[in-house]
Amino acid sequence: MKKAYNETWVENLHIQHQAAEWKSKNLLTDEQEEEVIAQFEEKFYRPGIFVKIGLFIFAVVACSFFVGFLSLFIYDTGSEIGFSTLSLLCCGCFVFFLEYLIKTKNLFHSGVDNALLYSAVTAAIVPVFLLFEHAPLWIYCLVALTIVIPATLRYADLLGALAIFGLIFTLLADLMMKFPLGKALLPFGVMLISAGIYLVARKSTDIYYRECRQILEALSLVTFYLGGNYLVVRELNAIISGLNVSIAPQIAFAPVFYFFTLAIPVAYIAAGLKKANRIIFVIGLLAFAFSVYTYSHYFVALTVSQGLALAGTLMILVSVLLIKYLHTPRYGISDEQNRKNDLADLQALITARHLGATPAEPGLEFGGGTFGGGGAGEVY
Amino acid sequence: MTTHSILNSLINKGIISKKQADSMATFESERAFSIHWELRSILYFGILLFSSGAGILIYENIDTIGHQAIIAVIAGVTIGCFYYTYKNSLPYSHEQVENPNKLIDYVLLLGCSTFLGLEGYLQYQYNLFGTRYGLAVLIPTILFFLCAYRFDHRGALSMAITGLASWLGLTIAPLSVISDNDFSDGKLIIPAIALGSILTAVGWISEEQKVKKHFAFTYMLMGGNLACIAAQIGLISHAPKILYFLVGIGLCYFFIWRARHAQSLLFLLMGTVYGYCILTYVIFTNLGPDAAFGLGIFYFLFSSVGVIYFLLNFKKFLGIKK
Repeated sequence: MKKAYNETWVENLHIQHQAAEWKSKNLLTDEQEEEVIAQFEEKFYRPGIFVKIGLFIFAVVACSFFVGFLSLFIYDTGSEIGFSTLSLLCCGCFVFFLEYLIKTKNLFHSGVDNALLYSAVTAAIVPVFLLFEHAPLWIYCLVALTIVIPATLRYADLLGALAIFGLIFTLLADLMMKFPLGKALLPFGVMLISAGIYLVARKSTDIYYRECRQILEALSLVTFYLGGNYLVVRELNAIISGLNVSIAPQIAFAPVFYFFTLAIPVAYIAAGLKKANRIIFVIGLLAFAFSVYTYSHYFVALTVSQGLALAGTLMILVSVLLIKYLHTPRYGISDEQNRKNDLADLQALITARHLGATPAEPGLEFGGGTFGGGGAGEVY
Repeated sequence: MTTHSILNSLINKGIISKKQADSMATFESERAFSIHWELRSILYFGILLFSSGAGILIYENIDTIGHQAIIAVIAGVTIGCFYYTYKNSLPYSHEQVENPNKLIDYVLLLGCSTFLGLEGYLQYQYNLFGTRYGLAVLIPTILFFLCAYRFDHRGALSMAITGLASWLGLTIAPLSVISDNDFSDGKLIIPAIALGSILTAVGWISEEQKVKKHFAFTYMLMGGNLACIAAQIGLISHAPKILYFLVGIGLCYFFIWRARHAQSLLFLLMGTVYGYCILTYVIFTNLGPDAAFGLGIFYFLFSSVGVIYFLLNFKKFLGIKK
């Protein structure tokens, strides 16, 4: 599939980011970084995140009213065929504007092009729903996939990758639920498909799809874990079988799922640390937390407050001990602060929202405030 | 595209030498994997879980523990936090203070929130302030403002601004301005606009005078958001409309104009979106329903295309050279 954005520029953008990172570690001098920017130039229009949001909002408004504008010229928008024609017509116009703006304005995921792409895809799918009203779910999924996959390959859009992932799993679940054997094997099916998606995604080394690849990897790691998690399988099994009981019954192959629940997070964490892969590592940590919850849900009799206090104490202890232990790097793992916290301004606002209660009310909770890790943010 | 291939292309363009590339490749392959943020996140979530768990535990066992003991513990924690912060703080400066001790930010925050908890507890149990609620709100507000400036803490500043707003009976946190405020009787609109404008002005002044310049963002975002939304609600539901219109448009103009010295494009977005809403509302109410219905499609289509054009070229329009 031919790519919509200038591939060389995408690569140069990546090189510039890499150079900036090296510069921050003093591996490159100022002049060398400037030379990199001059030699590997890119002319994409990439405003800050807030201008992107504004562009996206107004582009969505413009697209919706464009549909209204076109409907003035078409007679019977009331009928299904009339509206489908209108929808396809709009889709054509949106794709035209999208391509035109990318060529002339050098957009690169700048808000306008995202909005136009989503509008075009929606406009292309709407007629399918209108014209085939009572088709089974998997038909809709297949048709949507035939539209979304080429679009994502061309525009490398994040939401596109997300949609493909969701559609594949909806398709799988819908097909497997039709047979009793399929229902029983659904967890294994989910794990198998997740592993397949992960392997396919890993194969792509094209920098153009870097972000799509990352999101697919992360999602498939999550679904692979959830497919093998004892709690998820047991509770969903009860829901699927239509049982209306307060305690879900024991499932078949329970020991297998015990094993998965414990082994997958541990394997993720180990692999993440070994390969220095942050995606696997963080998902491993979250999965581990969920595994602990799974265990305590069935086997530990603590009240909520006791559980919270105990979990909190353990987390504080473990992290403080590790911080002390990693004061000097060991086994290729360090506690060095090498990413800047760009979110200080926003953290302050979150604080106001969570802690800024008026003292006129009785307040017993003295929460410490939630401050997640600081990802790399854009310049506002 | 790997590190290796990037280094090769840099060598081919003659930007770095072969030797430098080799040392960079060695550095990349031997670099330790840092789990700094992950460990910090676990720590903060641990603190959060522990404190909420402990809070509920105390609440459940309040009969056996007794009020004095609890108050003593909370007061002890509060004093401990403030003492630690004070001991480890750097001297005051008009500039941003970079304290190497990262823990201090969170300790101060914990102190501020336990102070609120303590005050609330005293009021609830012993009715310390009686019905003088204003005083109860004003004391932490002043304390937080002092802390924010003395210890250079944006979190404390936003808590202080929140306190100031609730002293007037307003909620100011950006996402709850509409949902949590009751503007229906109109009494709160003028104070909201006034407070919002004053906060925006304070932010602007602190930027111009270079007194804690990095506080400007918090002041302007919270104040500007409150003032703009209040002006819009005033415009829609109360007289004199012209006043609200002028205030709203003035603020939007200020935000867009300020994007010139942009430290933040968020204000450009706020100015554009609020300004668009205000202008659209005024145009449509003056046209009357029939004309508005006929023109609606064209107006929205062309005006939003116009705004997109403005945002795509905002640097040219505002004369920003970059």
